[in-house]
Amino acid sequence: MAGGTAPAVTLPIALDEVHAEQVAPNGAVSVHFVNNVLAAAASYVEEDPDAARDALAELGAFLTHRLRPPRPVPLSDELDHVEVYLRLQEFRFPGRLDAEVGDSDAPRTLVGPGDVQRPVGAALDGWLARRPGRVRVRLMPAGERLQLRLDAPDTPDVEPELITIDLAASVRRTT
Amino acid sequence: MTNGLAILAVDDEPRALADISRLLESSASVDRVATATSAKEALVSLSGGRYDALFLDVAMPEIEGMALARLLRRFADPPAVVFLTGHPDAAVEAFEVQALDFLVKPVTRERLDAALRRVEAHVQGAEARPAASADGDGATAPDVVAVDNPRGGGKRLVRVETIAFAQASGDYARIVCDDGRFLLRTPLTQLEKDWASAGFARVHRAYLVNLTHAVELRAQPNGTAVLIMRDGTEVPVARRGVAALRRRLHA
Repeated sequence: MAGGTAPAVTLPIALDEVHAEQVAPNGAVSVHFVNNVLAAAASYVEEDPDAARDALAELGAFLTHRLRPPRPVPLSDELDHVEVYLRLQEFRFPGRLDAEVGDSDAPRTLVGPGDVQRPVGAALDGWLARRPGRVRVRLMPAGERLQLRLDAPDTPDVEPELITIDLAASVRRTT
Repeated sequence: MTNGLAILAVDDEPRALADISRLLESSASVDRVATATSAKEALVSLSGGRYDALFLDVAMPEIEGMALARLLRRFADPPAVVFLTGHPDAAVEAFEVQALDFLVKPVTRERLDAALRRVEAHVQGAEARPAASADGDGATAPDVVAVDNPRGGGKRLVRVETIAFAQASGDYARIVCDDGRFLLRTPLTQLEKDWASAGFARVHRAYLVNLTHAVELRAQPNGTAVLIMRDGTEVPVARRGVAALRRRLHA
């Protein structure tokens, strides 16, 4: 089905079926991810110190969101966290990401920290690992669900991937 | 080694590759650094030039670093492999493919220098190998090997110095060490090369012995011999190996 769209997959976010890089005990931050971001930041230290500083600041924000004690956070905060994550991935893979994250349309929805980032990270890692070239990521909230779409804009014959991230389990857990 | 080291750095993450390349280029012991962003690119580079070592990312698309390291072991004179990873849990598998070192990203200069010293020692050992295998000298054997763990699966790390002998078991080797017997997924011929500098000698087609664990060489009436190990185990010595072993032991 060249150029078509793969059937959407729905992922309940409580499901820990994620890429190895993102798998960490109790939803903790992946050591692999953190170390690779630090390696990318180190690479900028001499040639672009401002970029190095930005990478470290973004990593600080990422870790702050995740390492504080477990608590419910507004979905909008979690989406900001996803954007931080995507910027960190751009530091690791410059020029390979084209990312867009929509605004939450459910301001009262609370989720667990990382509950959206983990499935997004799992899907994105798979794309970055399997294919060369750019990956386009679109994450659009729709109530207690999010629609994640990934495609390869430079390779039209690669089927886009559609994933529905179901927040229901997370919302129940945190309210 | 007459010149500085030639290193091929391989990582699919461009910034991580830039970082390790810069560190390597600024090292006094390194003469030349080339880079590749995939295992395929690395193989192309290896076909066109000689490198003393690969600094190799573990997790890469298509062909992972571990798979490339296994492939390199089929080369007649493979470069040393130093793994780079963001995930320390891959260390056990790195030992299995007999990597020279294992670095967790981001790499500190001190840790990198230590790895480069190991590469230098490895290269010098390779250059001196004919003499080394004759007199048992050298410093290139790994400190630890990863063996199949019979209890609960996974891998168990065994210090080479605790291994008394290895016995051929098909394409693999069964090692006998202070902690028991384990299967090592490496042919005896490869272990003979890898462990020559650690005091091991091939005394029989099926046996590689750590001579520091032997307490007696006992001649047999048919011209063969047996080595008596510390625990009393007798290891056969082939007839054609007896004279060389006597010379080595000044017996």
